[in-house]
Amino acid sequence: MNTELWIAIFAAAIGTFALRALPLIWMQRHLRQRDQQGVPDAGPPLFTVLGPTMIAALFGVSLLPVSTTPASTIAVLIGCLSTYLVWRWTQSLGIPVAVGVAAFGVVTAMQPLWT
Amino acid sequence: MRAPDHLNPRFAVLNGVRDAIPLLGAYFPVAMSFGLIALQSGLNITETMLISTLIYAGASQFLFVSMYASGAPLILVVLMTVLINGRHLIYGPSIAPWLGTDRRWFWLMHGLTDQIFALAHTRLPQLHEDQRMGWYTGAMLLAWFSWIFGTAVGAVVGQQLTERWPLVGEILPFALPALFLVLLAPRFATRLWSIVLGSTIALAIGISLIGMSNAAIPMAAALGTTLYFILNANTKLTG
Repeated sequence: MNTELWIAIFAAAIGTFALRALPLIWMQRHLRQRDQQGVPDAGPPLFTVLGPTMIAALFGVSLLPVSTTPASTIAVLIGCLSTYLVWRWTQSLGIPVAVGVAAFGVVTAMQPLWT
Repeated sequence: MRAPDHLNPRFAVLNGVRDAIPLLGAYFPVAMSFGLIALQSGLNITETMLISTLIYAGASQFLFVSMYASGAPLILVVLMTVLINGRHLIYGPSIAPWLGTDRRWFWLMHGLTDQIFALAHTRLPQLHEDQRMGWYTGAMLLAWFSWIFGTAVGAVVGQQLTERWPLVGEILPFALPALFLVLLAPRFATRLWSIVLGSTIALAIGISLIGMSNAAIPMAAALGTTLYFILNANTKLTG
């Protein structure tokens, strides 16, 4: 057993957990104080805007590893379009993702035929 | 008297599990690659599993293993592994308004990955207050277990699987952008949000393309948020 490595794993785990958990405690305290003081809500707070923009940024970054060549970019576009159209139709979560992956997979598998 | 289905805690957990199923396509292949790479880098199965179970953070796990394998000082390995996840600082506060004050939420934050955050940010506001913890627990546990299981499979039989079905590893990760797209789609309801989110996506791609992929998420999100407040203020001024 490599003791130093184990200590490093536990330290990294505690650090990562702290990054996720401590800001929540801070925010819960802040919200509690705001409720107790009856402070009125002053327009859209920073975090309600930052949440959707974080998801948008995650979406943008997640496109790159699956879109490495012009041919795979076409597969990504077809996959995204299929996902969106099925979402418009079903307004659900799982089915559009499954159809999007299937469409992306079919175009990717067919790439050797047209490149 | 039996509680109605929508107030039944078991129903909430199952609902969370169902909503997190699309994540499996993205988590499993990446976790499998991690298991494979960790073993090739000289870690044993126990150490590899411990990393996926306790650190549970995609990119930083790969960084941890590659820095360790290159012989970097362990203090630097730990620091970089934690710092690369800096963006997680805003996830808890962003979903806090829907979590209430229950202390158990603190421990559940272990599962607040990028994907669970995106899922929770969309689904929690739609759920009844009593259902939120059950839903989050179900979604988070399925994602966590699939990550641990994927790592184990990668560590034990990853080499044989990727050699036999190379396309599967190429296709399944598309589940991740597809999921983010579905979570974002309802937000393109107004012109303001469409401009802000479209610009944020373009910025994230642009920043990643110039080689700053780790900084791309917080930078693009910060710029997109700034754009929102500028456009919102202009809309108010011009009436």
